[in-house]
Formats: sequence, structure tokens, C-alpha cells
Amino acid sequence: MIRLRPVGLALLVMLPVSLVAQDVTARLAGRVSPEVRQAVAKIASDAATRGLPVDPLVEKAIEGAAKGVPADRLIAAVRALEGRLGDASAAVRDAGLTAPDGDVVEGAADALNAGLSASDVRDLVRVSHSPYDPALTLRVAATMAALGVPATQATELVEDAIRAGRSTAELMALPSQVQADIGRGATPEQAAQGLARAAAAGRPAVPPGLEKKGKPANPHRP
Amino acid sequence: MMAGYHALVKQVLDGERSLADLPLDLRAEAEEAVRLVHAVDRAPVTLPAAVEERVMAAVREHAASPARRAWRWLHAPRDVELRLRIRPWMVWGGALTAAASLAILLTRPTISSSPPETRVASRDTVLVRFVLYAPGARRVAVAGTFNQWDRSAAPLVPAGTSGVWTTTLALRVGQHQYAFVVDGERWVADPGAPAVDDGFGRRNSLMAVTAHGGRVL
Repeated sequence: MIRLRPVGLALLVMLPVSLVAQDVTARLAGRVSPEVRQAVAKIASDAATRGLPVDPLVEKAIEGAAKGVPADRLIAAVRALEGRLGDASAAVRDAGLTAPDGDVVEGAADALNAGLSASDVRDLVRVSHSPYDPALTLRVAATMAALGVPATQATELVEDAIRAGRSTAELMALPSQVQADIGRGATPEQAAQGLARAAAAGRPAVPPGLEKKGKPANPHRP
Repeated sequence: MMAGYHALVKQVLDGERSLADLPLDLRAEAEEAVRLVHAVDRAPVTLPAAVEERVMAAVREHAASPARRAWRWLHAPRDVELRLRIRPWMVWGGALTAAASLAILLTRPTISSSPPETRVASRDTVLVRFVLYAPGARRVAVAGTFNQWDRSAAPLVPAGTSGVWTTTLALRVGQHQYAFVVDGERWVADPGAPAVDDGFGRRNSLMAVTAHGGRVL
């Protein structure tokens, strides 16, 4: 048994958070203003304390600086992203993933940003049992929502594909098919309905050449 | 110097022996020593009162300062007694551990210097072509998560005078967000790709790079 004094315990807890702040400060050096760097390091430390991924916050700060966004607006956007990551993490945990990795939390945050609700996120995570990666299914639904498909409809389309035992490749092909139908003049809603009808009728939902069976390498993380 | 006197002479100086007890050849030395000792002023020393006051004031100042006491407590060297009781099996255990570590160091295979990550990264990299129709633009670039949003890292090349700008980039497998930068200052989402709010009032385009190439996802 190790006996620690309260001061030692506090130092042990503070050490990783302090390292996060140092790492974030180093990564942002020369890329953002000192004001933004200091604020983002603080936000990232808070996020790390809550077990949230820090990389998206750093990347958002770099993006904002590259786009010439004023400091106050940039900091607000990073803070909003931290809030969204927190909401995403809570939704994923509610769905039964007690210790989600950063990819899943980030995927859920992207899904929320694309218009999915926390309830949609919970539903998708619950049905995403192996071999389906919840981070991937969340991104498929989020991409369809970004194409204009109503969030609930996008969620149901992915859920139905999983329940029907579609392969991961077929799942990943859904947004491309929606986009192709939009290109042919359909509304996003009509495109999603067409895919749902095709799935119900048992027709293949994947274009020729993409019928690869099995789970490919996780493609949702650069 | 006292060290130079004969031992019998020192006894005379200490009052343990008289001059008459000494041999004749030491008497002259003893008489000289006695004369020098008697020449020393043995009157009691009395310090001026001012000196005593100054010394006591300094002592009181040191004693009354908690900070100084704490500092002295922290810095004062202390004798520390360290007792280490070693049993024979500990000695043997330590020796065996050291020998085993040395054997592992000497017999382990040489590690290749070629980094495997490089090969894995090259397998996970896919060429993706970006196209933007921007007639009248003086220059166009693409920036995104794949190049840290550097607006000058990936310029597009005009295809003649058609207004079409293109470039091909090697991107890692995964999902990326990006936007085109027209004339170095105008950020434009890809009209052919889904887009999401970038948090700054603009839109970022989405693209997933898979083993089959760049696609919507």
C-alpha cells in the first residue's frame, strides 16, 4: 500500500493536466496569438480533466487562426466545441460505452454538429456492435445529414443497414449514393427514402466494385 | 613558539616543576620562556558597553524573526543516521538481477533503423484530386485538416483559361475537412461536397479518404 499525503495526491492529479496545457501551448506556438494560446490551453486542460479529446480543440484553434478569425470569436468557437465534445461524451456513455475512445467522442461531436440529436447519437451507438465501429456509423449518419438528409432519417437509414447485416463497405457507400441521387435531381429526403426502399426490398445498396466484405481498416481518423 | 620548548621547560611553565629541578643546559631556555610568559598582559579584558549592546541587539533580531528561524531550520545541516539492514538473500537477488539484465543487454537482437511507420503511412495514403471552377480567380489553394489549414501549402493549377483549377494531393486514409482559398483571402466550401458549420460562420467541406480513394464517405 502506498500512503500519500493530500498534497502529493493533488500533485499527481494536476501533473497530467499541466502536461496537457504545456503540450497545447507548444503546438500552438507561432500559430495563434498569445491570448488565444493561453485561453485554448486552459480550455484543453479542462477538457482533459473531463476525459475529453484535446486534439480537436487544438485543430479548431489552428483553423480559426488560419482563417483570420478574431481572437474572441476563435476562443468562443473552441469553447463551444469543448461543450459539444462534452455533450457527445455524455451521449455515448449513456448508450453503454463507459470508456469511449477519442475517435468515438469526436465522431459523436461531429454528428451533433451536423444536426443529429443526442438521442440519435445514443441510438446509433447502441446498435453499433462489432464489427460496426460506432465512430464510423456516426460519421456516415453525420455525412448524410450534412448532405441535407433529415437527421432522424439519416439515423434510421444507418440503423436499418446495421440491422440488415450490411457490410461496412455498404454502410460507407450510403452517403455517396445519396449524393448521386441528389445529382440526378432528387431532394436529400427523397434520396434517403429511395435507399430505404431499396434496402427493404433486398436490393444491393452498394455500387458495383465496392462489394468488399469484411471490416476494412478504420478509415474515420486521418 | 611553545612547540619549540623542551618538554621539561613546558613543565616549568605549567608550574609542575621549578627551575632548580632542570638540568643546567635547559635552565637558560626555561628562564627565557618564563620571562616571555610574564611579559604577557594578563589583566582582564573589559569591552565597552556600546559593543555589548550592538552584539545583543543583533542576537535579538535573529531570534525574533520567524522567517529567519524557518530558513535556518530548512538549511541547517543535520546529521542523519541511515540504518540499512540487508539480508543475505537480498544480496544474492540483486546480483542475479544485475547479471540477468546484463545478459539481456548483450544478447538482444539489433533493432532495424528503418521506421515501419513510414511504410504503413505510405500504404494508407491515397491520391485525391481537387477541382474548383473559379473563373477570374488569380490564385486558388486548398487548405484543411490534412495540411493544418495552411493556405499556401497546396495551390491549385489553372487548366488553361477555362476557369477550372485542379491539384492532386496524397492524403491519409480518414475523414478530412477542407475549404478552397481564392485569391489568398476568400474561403470557399467545395460545391460538390457535403459541408458543415465550421464554428466561425463559414462552412467546411467533408471528405472521407478510403482505400478506394476520396469519396463523400
